[in-house]
Amino acid sequence: MNNILVYLVLFPILTGSFLGLLKCNNTRKRKILTIVTIFIQSLLLIGSLYVLTYVKDFGTTAQNIGNWPDFIGITLKADIYAVSFVLMSISLFTFAIIYQLTENDIESRVFSLLIILEGLIIGIFLSNDLFNIFVLIEVATIVISLLIMYKKDTISTYDGMLYLLVNIAAMSLFLFGIGMLYKMTGVIDLTGLKDVLSVFPDKKALIVPYGLMLTAVCLKSAVLPLFSWLPHAHATPSAPSAISAVLSGIYVKSGIYLFLRLQNVFSDVFDTYYLFLILGFVTAVAGFMLAVSQKDIKLILAYHTISQIGMIMMGLSMNSESAYLGAVYHIINHAFFKSCLFLSAGLIISAYKSRNVYKIKGVFKNMPITATACVMAILGITGAPLFNGSISKYWISYGAKGGWAEYALILINIGTMISFIKYSGMLTGNYDSTLVKISKKRSVPVLILSVMCLLGGILSEPIISFLFNVQMSPNLLDYLEKSLLFFVSLGIAYLLYRYAISKVNLYKIASRLELGFNGICISMGVFFLVMLLYIRIFAM
Amino acid sequence: MELITGENISILIFFAGFSGLMLKRNVIKSIICIGIMQAAIIIFFLSSGLSPDNVPPIDATGLQNVADPLPQALMITDIVIGIGVTAMALSLFIHMYHQFGTSDWEKAFKLRKDSEE
Repeated sequence: MNNILVYLVLFPILTGSFLGLLKCNNTRKRKILTIVTIFIQSLLLIGSLYVLTYVKDFGTTAQNIGNWPDFIGITLKADIYAVSFVLMSISLFTFAIIYQLTENDIESRVFSLLIILEGLIIGIFLSNDLFNIFVLIEVATIVISLLIMYKKDTISTYDGMLYLLVNIAAMSLFLFGIGMLYKMTGVIDLTGLKDVLSVFPDKKALIVPYGLMLTAVCLKSAVLPLFSWLPHAHATPSAPSAISAVLSGIYVKSGIYLFLRLQNVFSDVFDTYYLFLILGFVTAVAGFMLAVSQKDIKLILAYHTISQIGMIMMGLSMNSESAYLGAVYHIINHAFFKSCLFLSAGLIISAYKSRNVYKIKGVFKNMPITATACVMAILGITGAPLFNGSISKYWISYGAKGGWAEYALILINIGTMISFIKYSGMLTGNYDSTLVKISKKRSVPVLILSVMCLLGGILSEPIISFLFNVQMSPNLLDYLEKSLLFFVSLGIAYLLYRYAISKVNLYKIASRLELGFNGICISMGVFFLVMLLYIRIFAM
Repeated sequence: MELITGENISILIFFAGFSGLMLKRNVIKSIICIGIMQAAIIIFFLSSGLSPDNVPPIDATGLQNVADPLPQALMITDIVIGIGVTAMALSLFIHMYHQFGTSDWEKAFKLRKDSEE
């Protein structure tokens, strides 16, 4: 393996930093930029595929940087989930970068920051050391806030500032939690921590650090009271769509991934599965309610990410093998269809010069390729039969069988459909004014992404066994039942939207629910206290 | 039991900083509060690996009774990150102030909403 894990993190960070020096003011330099970025991406893809095959053959592999003994130095650890997430993020970054390369005027700074961010995200997935994760997330926060306020106009400066300060405050809580844990246990390595915690005598002392870290992780992954920063950050009007796609498709997953790892470490000590089942459900419901009430297409998509995160969190907290795997597969699927939706939304916005879902009409007639890609991604996200969303939702609901969560999932899916019925309203109809011409080649990456949504459904068995080394084939009869359920709930969703929801002015109510900086901090404090109380009373 | 220890003090300072984040509407004060929280974290880490009879590892013979070096190494990293973050936040604040003409979170929030309409 000689050091390949380290290079997988360091290589994009170093090359990305040098890429910013390149000025692309003429076509020749633009060509150089294209070649260099594609070269970096293909090297990374090959590297991650190599690591994946290695991990599948030889099992989990770890590497101590600087040859320190275990649990003292920084460790990079590649297990099967980490590597498949790395592969997912590299391939999605490739699409986002290709999309951004076809933009009319490009700046090398954006690519430089994007590739640095890619290295940081790979580092977060691979790192097995809490402090190292903290450092990587902190740097990623800075890079992202630069990307958000890249154009420095009124809205984006506020969004970038809010994003930066809220996330840094949350990560301070995280670091304080690490400090308390280190003081008690003497390790900050996740594997070592799990060993120590399973025999740790004083459970009560662990409540505060666990609560602090969970609060930070929940803010990072945008759980119910702590999500107000996300739509701002992911849907800033002036930020390029590739950045929104990367943030909403991949970066948010690093929060979920941290949640997954943290729950794994603390599973012997505290049992908070039920709390996160409920929190996930509430988050999912709030997410789609807010998504339905928006009229800006990027905001609809951003709020919808929150709803899907709630669903993933439910799947992870069901304490069942198949739901867990379904949720992990849904993380990957969501990355694909959400980036496809954001990129196609970017094309639509630049053609129509508008972001209002009521004003854009007739996308099918004017931009057939983009509209097809968009429809396929929508089918994926609503879980239509044969698409990738249906498989992961099938496994999540398979794990939920018999409980209230099974019905909760149906409700969430109906909500998803309602928001996308509203969203797809822009695809049909007539549009009279002239559009800005968008060249055909710009919709190619979007189309490939949408085809991958379909492939993720049809070829789900080989993909799951390729990524996670597990054989899982859905029961045909159950799957048909789920497909039938899909069409029934689609009908219900349409009727609900047509006769109830479109008549109410939800936008006014929703915009009142938005929190400012102090509001987010107060909800963070309240969330922390509630967490402490819950763990003290129910989870010990 | 001793009340005034490094840990207790740092917990106090940390939550004082956090309450500032909740209550103060000025952006600059928010940045300062984050700095205070960072200082508290540094005190906590350093005092967690320290006992009063530790000696500094200056000469080669004195390596028996030194403090735990790992928290110190971590905190050097954290200090560097803290400087970077503060500098970044302040420079972003300059841009925000140019756009909004205010350093108040609530006013900026309202102005942002208006400019969105």
